[in-house]
Amino acid sequence: MNLFGLFQISGSALTAERVRAEVATSNLANSETTRTPEGGPYRRRMVVFNSRPASSFRLLLAGSLNNGSLQEAGGVRVSQVVDDPTPALRRYEPGHPDADASGYVDYPAISPVQEMVDLMGAQRAYELNASAVQAAKQMIQQSLQILK
Amino acid sequence: MTLVETPLMHTLSRALDLTSVRQGLVSQNVANIDTPGYKARDIDYRQELQRAMADDESLQPAPVAREVPGLVERPDGNNVSLDRESLLMAQNQLAFQVDVQLLRAEFNRLQQAINGGNGQ
Repeated sequence: MNLFGLFQISGSALTAERVRAEVATSNLANSETTRTPEGGPYRRRMVVFNSRPASSFRLLLAGSLNNGSLQEAGGVRVSQVVDDPTPALRRYEPGHPDADASGYVDYPAISPVQEMVDLMGAQRAYELNASAVQAAKQMIQQSLQILK
Repeated sequence: MTLVETPLMHTLSRALDLTSVRQGLVSQNVANIDTPGYKARDIDYRQELQRAMADDESLQPAPVAREVPGLVERPDGNNVSLDRESLLMAQNQLAFQVDVQLLRAEFNRLQQAINGGNGQ
């Protein structure tokens, strides 16, 4: 592990948390959307986080020497963005252009409170990882001091 | 050990290596704070340093990262503790700084010895 590897780890988390915030924002923006290209109302989306094992040759070699298990640090990635299977909310609005024969409109099952909490969680996690980047930066600057 | 590498330098460089490995694990734990099922990992610093000191230069085994025992698990199976990781991050940063300063001081002493004690 060299110190620059820390940037990749924390950077992967920054990317993942931003995707999470983007998805939450998109859910909020589309909380009243009744038409989508796929047809039907907008469906709430969720991110799936996966820890990512380290994969450089040196690490794999070190891992195979240590009883075949990988020992080095990896990062995180968004493995997929999935649709929420919760059925659409039905509201009685006979005048709405997307109302069905009985006068009901399908709205996305999105709770603004839930999305805001998710957004705040993503923001805090982003901050935490940004301070990890700061720590790594300071350590690299410190090691330059040896040369002086 | 070479002519200009003192035992202290040897120890300090091992300690710096281990500190950066540990910082990598802290970064990984922090990066995976929202990953379901992820378990926090860390190295046994004291034990790893002793091992690194005992082994000879040619074959340095990679430090072994283990899951941290005694952490409270969240309902999603993740057990990363925010407080533990933040504290460890700060502690690691300071430990790194101390090692670097000690290394610099040792180099300065060596320089002084080369100059026969006539200042820098």
